[in-house]
Amino acid sequence: MICTGCGCLCDDLDLTVAEGQLLEVANVCLWGLSRFFPCKRSHPRKERRRILKPLARLNGRPREVSYETALEQAAEILGAARRPLLYGLTNTGSRAQEAALHLARKLRARLEPADLAFTAPYYHSLRKHGLYWAPLEVIRDEADTVLFWGANPLHSCPRHPVRYSVFARGRFTERGVEDRRVAAVDLYRTEVAKFCHLFVQVEPGRELQLLSGIREHLEGAPGPGPAVKGTRKLAGFLSQGDFGVIFFGRGATYNQGFALLDELAGLAARLGEERPFVLFPLSADFNAAGLYQLLFNELGSPEAPDFGHESGLLTTYATADWGEFDAVLVVGADPWWFLPEEQALALQARRVPVVSLSPYANRTTASARVVFPTALAGLEAAEVAYRMDGLPVVLKQVLPAAWPTDREILLDLAKAI
Amino acid sequence: MTHDLKSCFFEVGAGGAGGPGPLSQGKLSEQHPIGWYGMKIKITGGRLYDPAQGINGAEQDLFIAGDRIVESLPQPDRVIEARGRVVAPAGIELRGQVATYGLNFLRLWGRFPSLTELGRLYAAAGYTHVHEPLLTLYTAGYVHRQLAALPLVDTSASLALNLRDLDDSLKSPNHLEELGQAVKALQEKTRALDLRLLEPFVRYRQPFYSHRTLDAAQTLETLTRLALRCELRFSLEAAPEVLEAPLPEPRVFHLAALGRALTNPRRLDQALAHLDRGGTADLGFPCQAAGGAAEKPVKVDLGWYHPLNLTPDAGADAGAAALRLARQYQGPNLAFSVDGPVRRPEAALSSWWARLRDRRPGAGADEPPDREFSLWDWVWATRTLPARLLGLADRGHLAPGARADVALFDLPPDTPPSRWADCIARCRTLLKAGTVVIEDFALVQPDAPKATYYRRTGAAAGPLLAEICQYRSFRPENLWVTDELGGDWVGLD
Ligand code: SF4
Repeated sequence: MICTGCGCLCDDLDLTVAEGQLLEVANVCLWGLSRFFPCKRSHPRKERRRILKPLARLNGRPREVSYETALEQAAEILGAARRPLLYGLTNTGSRAQEAALHLARKLRARLEPADLAFTAPYYHSLRKHGLYWAPLEVIRDEADTVLFWGANPLHSCPRHPVRYSVFARGRFTERGVEDRRVAAVDLYRTEVAKFCHLFVQVEPGRELQLLSGIREHLEGAPGPGPAVKGTRKLAGFLSQGDFGVIFFGRGATYNQGFALLDELAGLAARLGEERPFVLFPLSADFNAAGLYQLLFNELGSPEAPDFGHESGLLTTYATADWGEFDAVLVVGADPWWFLPEEQALALQARRVPVVSLSPYANRTTASARVVFPTALAGLEAAEVAYRMDGLPVVLKQVLPAAWPTDREILLDLAKAI
Repeated sequence: MTHDLKSCFFEVGAGGAGGPGPLSQGKLSEQHPIGWYGMKIKITGGRLYDPAQGINGAEQDLFIAGDRIVESLPQPDRVIEARGRVVAPAGIELRGQVATYGLNFLRLWGRFPSLTELGRLYAAAGYTHVHEPLLTLYTAGYVHRQLAALPLVDTSASLALNLRDLDDSLKSPNHLEELGQAVKALQEKTRALDLRLLEPFVRYRQPFYSHRTLDAAQTLETLTRLALRCELRFSLEAAPEVLEAPLPEPRVFHLAALGRALTNPRRLDQALAHLDRGGTADLGFPCQAAGGAAEKPVKVDLGWYHPLNLTPDAGADAGAAALRLARQYQGPNLAFSVDGPVRRPEAALSSWWARLRDRRPGAGADEPPDREFSLWDWVWATRTLPARLLGLADRGHLAPGARADVALFDLPPDTPPSRWADCIARCRTLLKAGTVVIEDFALVQPDAPKATYYRRTGAAAGPLLAEICQYRSFRPENLWVTDELGGDWVGLD
């Protein structure tokens, strides 16, 4: 079985099912457990509430309604909107993503991937520097120099180090971590430090200086001023080895994301002049890669498409200003979890209706006007998903589903509007 | 970035409301009522070009019943007037790099069409089949998903073998049978139509493994024995060292994308010798818009000795060398193809053909042409021979029983050479399996059914296959291409 807990899409899980009930999952990490059982990520004892029936607000209070009523209300909201936003989609299957793109076209909506702020600087930097890319298969087999930048795989994709990057025994890295050198750069000392040969804790705001210092060292011309601590060691670390990879995480894109990724991509390109060197985004959401594949295939660009633009279609790397929209459809994401409070309040004040598709109750469903419970992809619904390196796998249905899939609801919405 | 939603050079016609995304992709049974396929069509008065039947521009009617070409029809439902037009089998792209893993990155520079556009461009150029040359053991699912998203045209792909996975077996002559079975099983499991070799040698980037190296001559010798014993055939991506190596049995190897390997006159002679000995090849004209100064390097490491370069230097030399070979070779074993990711299918081959056809001094090569290139040659090299090479028995010709994939071009006999490329770059009418897909240069059936073809080898997975898969992070069942990852599927025996 394949786990849809994160972009690793580990395919070595063994499930025990009896009489339509899931009893046990083997090989899964705590993070992934929450995809199979209603518990919180990394907290197996804390329950998550499954939404059992469609909900619609009546006099401000959520009430259980029939699927048809929920559909009617959602279609009314989205159909009447002048400027709708379709948000999320990185945690849903590829077929649902296709249906969402179809719906966005029909609604003349803006479609925004939930992790646009993370991926946009990466794709932007590639335009300037080009790229050397390798799937995780090759990285696992050959990479002997691994750097995590602003990434804590133990929190975003816990089995990544074991399956692909650090402890994995690949064809030419048969001794696992003994055949690799591993380093990390982060603002705080994280658990990753325990298995890294080199950990550089950098002060907030000094990452760019660290990167330019490394470049100077690589060119053999370190600047005269005081260098960020760890610069020389990191430069030495990166300049050795036969095959390198930099995995960057969200920490690299929080502040100065575009500038930092520009520098990181430049560094990878510079290192790549001498040996294979890959810059790899560590996507936490299980099918973020699938969404970008779809955007590339259909629209020729990984940017967020806006079908409501006067030119017909505008694509952009800029994240949406939520103040622009008069209706929001959320699929495969929980934006209210991280939306700044003032923005959430502003949406509330403007009475912007939200329609949410989710298997579990979360902050977004709590604010939504219409909520559709959905089947879990890869457990209750068959789907296709792309691993973080862009390789697709088929997710199977193993349990009977009491709820429709994201795709079915999106197609029904498209029909109803 | 703003986009023109109709960036294809034709408009979507009557049948084309909405963009043909994956949701509107044609599925025969779901979207078309019974009888949709049952149309009887007569194409009348056209100049037919069908080298397979020896028809060279004769004015002749063509009859179609359902999805097949038939001898005659008493009462057609529809007559397509083709007077003064060229009627030819639809094109078959032998080496259309459209779905290679990593190719999407090229779209970052905005000069590479989306898959939706590419499918439309192929149809506009008169093609109904595109063969992707690069599918590997673990990118098979990816390639097939991409091919399924390419609208309008049928697709297939080559399994590119990494001989590093097979080095032990290649060294031991006693295991040829087992090796053959493993290769055939891989072909079926990855749903590939044929087999391809990018690196016909075993070389390791890790010095520690240098003792396992096999040079090209040794490797090709073993592969020849393997092919003869197990009835296999390989497309060999041409490189100078491939031409240098002896090919003991040329019919076992198809040399792909020859242009880039013809780096000196000796290599040109070696290529001609291969063709004269009964081997086949395709020319690999540089894809016109590939690479380009504004683009940055895009390389994908698939675990071969060399990474795959997706922005190769298009190389005027390779184009000139391919032209030279085409002019010198007099036989039937040379197909047209392009080398590199395809951006402008309508322009990719037609401009090269126009240069071959143009006999004015200085019109395409530095020496006068030895051979006159006719429409017959064009149809042979872009339809008939590619269909035969891919084993698509009912394509590439217009004989009764063939699938009714037919393209009509406006190319009157008195067309000046300067207009040839334009005239064959766009078809006026395209029929796919008897359905009119393009009419008067407009797409009228954007959701025409399509399928992906693969070879059913019937080989069972043995221990060698398990060994090959042991280094993969996927469990074997997730490496194999299942129905859900592409289709509709057509297995050829
Ligand atoms: S690493 Fe990710 S995919 Fe693998 S088991 Fe954990 S949550 Fe699931």
